[in-house]
Amino acid sequence: MPEEKDVLERRFSREDLLKLAAVTGGAGLFAGQSGLARAASVHLAKETGRLQVLDWAGYGNDGGQSMFAQYVKTHPKNKPQFTYMGNEADALAKIHAGLKADLFRPYVGWVKYFATSGLVQPWDTKLISNFKNLNPFMVKAGQYQGKQYGIPDDWGFDAILYRSDKVKPKAKSWGLLFDERYKGKIAWFDDIEMLEIAGLYLGFKDTWNQTDDQLKQSQKLLISKKHLVRKNWSSETDLWQLFGSGDVWIAYAWPNDWVQMKKKGLKVVYMHPKEKPIAWVGMFMLLKGTPRPNLAHAYVDAWSSAKSARWLEDNYGYGHANTVARPSSSDLLRALQLTNPRAVTLPNAYLDRDIPRRALYAKMWEQVKAS
Amino acid sequence: MAARRERVRLDLTTPTLLGLPVAWLVVFFIVPIAIVAAYSFDVYSLFPGTHGFTLAAWREFVHSPVYLALFWKSVKMSLTVSAIIVVLAYPLAYYLALSGTKRKYVLLLVLIAPFLTSYLLRVLAWKVILGDQGVINTFLFWTGVRSPGHPISQLLYSRFAVMLVLGYIWLPFVALPIFVSLESLDRRLLEAASDLGASRLQAFRRVTLPLSLPGIMAAFLFVFIPTLGEFVTPSLVGGANGYMYGNQIVDLFGTGFPDWETGSVLAIFLFGIVTVLTVVFTRFLQPRRVAAD
Repeated sequence: MPEEKDVLERRFSREDLLKLAAVTGGAGLFAGQSGLARAASVHLAKETGRLQVLDWAGYGNDGGQSMFAQYVKTHPKNKPQFTYMGNEADALAKIHAGLKADLFRPYVGWVKYFATSGLVQPWDTKLISNFKNLNPFMVKAGQYQGKQYGIPDDWGFDAILYRSDKVKPKAKSWGLLFDERYKGKIAWFDDIEMLEIAGLYLGFKDTWNQTDDQLKQSQKLLISKKHLVRKNWSSETDLWQLFGSGDVWIAYAWPNDWVQMKKKGLKVVYMHPKEKPIAWVGMFMLLKGTPRPNLAHAYVDAWSSAKSARWLEDNYGYGHANTVARPSSSDLLRALQLTNPRAVTLPNAYLDRDIPRRALYAKMWEQVKAS
Repeated sequence: MAARRERVRLDLTTPTLLGLPVAWLVVFFIVPIAIVAAYSFDVYSLFPGTHGFTLAAWREFVHSPVYLALFWKSVKMSLTVSAIIVVLAYPLAYYLALSGTKRKYVLLLVLIAPFLTSYLLRVLAWKVILGDQGVINTFLFWTGVRSPGHPISQLLYSRFAVMLVLGYIWLPFVALPIFVSLESLDRRLLEAASDLGASRLQAFRRVTLPLSLPGIMAAFLFVFIPTLGEFVTPSLVGGANGYMYGNQIVDLFGTGFPDWETGSVLAIFLFGIVTVLTVVFTRFLQPRRVAAD
């Protein structure tokens, strides 16, 4: 990094040297090799101030403290300060509007968009000690043109959850979300992913890059089946309420939703459709021009540890890219197929990816909701 | 004669007093609206790059089958809600104002007491009442009107739920202007009417109702305008079916992919319609003078 080079060329005073020795010695005791290098970089580059993190609700001091506890321990003077992102569109708008964040966490489908936007810079994976334990397929998905723009963290599947005591699917297919027999008992996800799912159901070759004609077909399918939908859910607690109260019997859902409904004593099945589920992966991205790049690396390293990974799986029910971690719940282990490192790729699932015409997809989904 | 400079004493009281509120309105109301309008013409944009004044987004808004239809849907929902609760609120306000009850103001307080609680909690309470396993459906199962397993599903997450909850939220608001206009009714007019031989019903139709019309108009506008752009209640209890115009505006700004241009078009359109309506209806809000022949 450019700042490091400049700093090292400075003439050192005795005081500087003593301080440096103390800091690196201390860090060396706790964090090992890369911790030493990192602590030294941080001190030399004098990265000050609190680390500005733009993250989803539930990952800050509102419940996610365990994910970055290790970072807070080693960097007490640079505790993270959180701004919420409602979703990637919200983060994009905030960044464009001038929010000075150091890092944020979009999902895998946005990696290429942000990598080419000029808003982010690649990570230096040598500074992340836990990087070697991260799932290689997810790591690859965070790369663009050979550079590591995204560090994978949480992940899961999009598939169908249904009540086996109320619903008899005709086929293991995404079509269950469009089944006329269950009018008013279906919940979709409030996201352009519904267009991707429509595309998979209609058999399009590349549902992330549909032609105009294909998009119109997908939109038409969704509009024609909208009358079956009780609600388009956007937060998991919404879904749990809908499903738990019996208002809805069939829903687009993530693995943890199956685990939670099972815990409520409902007879539920988590169905991987034959057209294949979609897998999603959260990606930490480093914003360009951040004054605290080394601190950001330290934060992501804390998130990537096996301890944080296990906490995430146990408490939020998402998978974690750290392949060493295993949740306590055997149900979740099964639902996430955690013993299969290839779970997020073909032939098991389609890993979510860049949508070149995302703005158009978004507009078409908004029109589905408006019609 | 030496010219004397006369000191002109300007009365600066009114301009000074008005100055601050006007400045406030300009800075925090007019300017933001202008900025939103700029976004709708792509003069401002969220994304860097070349942008110039263009009517493209407006043209799309007008020609697309979706947006105006959604607006019309919201208009219909708001009209229905407003009309029904004005009709319901009138007797309430009438009793409070004209029955001569000593506990008038206590009852008024009871009427507006719900405002002292959280809006969100009140809306969420309806979820408990209207759901498939909610209070109403459980009651219907218990009385045998519906068999368990066949609840009325349209109660919650539907257009009906949105209109019901909006009506419930706004009823106290609506009663107030009607109450005020009935309160200020000159009772001697009613006495005069009965002296002239009018029955109670006739007096109501020919005297009370017309004189309370400004109050009714104000009440109607009071509820129609906010519910037209409503998005919180539809997002909580509306489901897929109860989606309203305001929801589309919020979604265009906040989800999927930021489309501030289209969102601004929808927002400015709503603002324009509401302004026109307010101007038109304000004519009816002028107090009518009763001519004595």
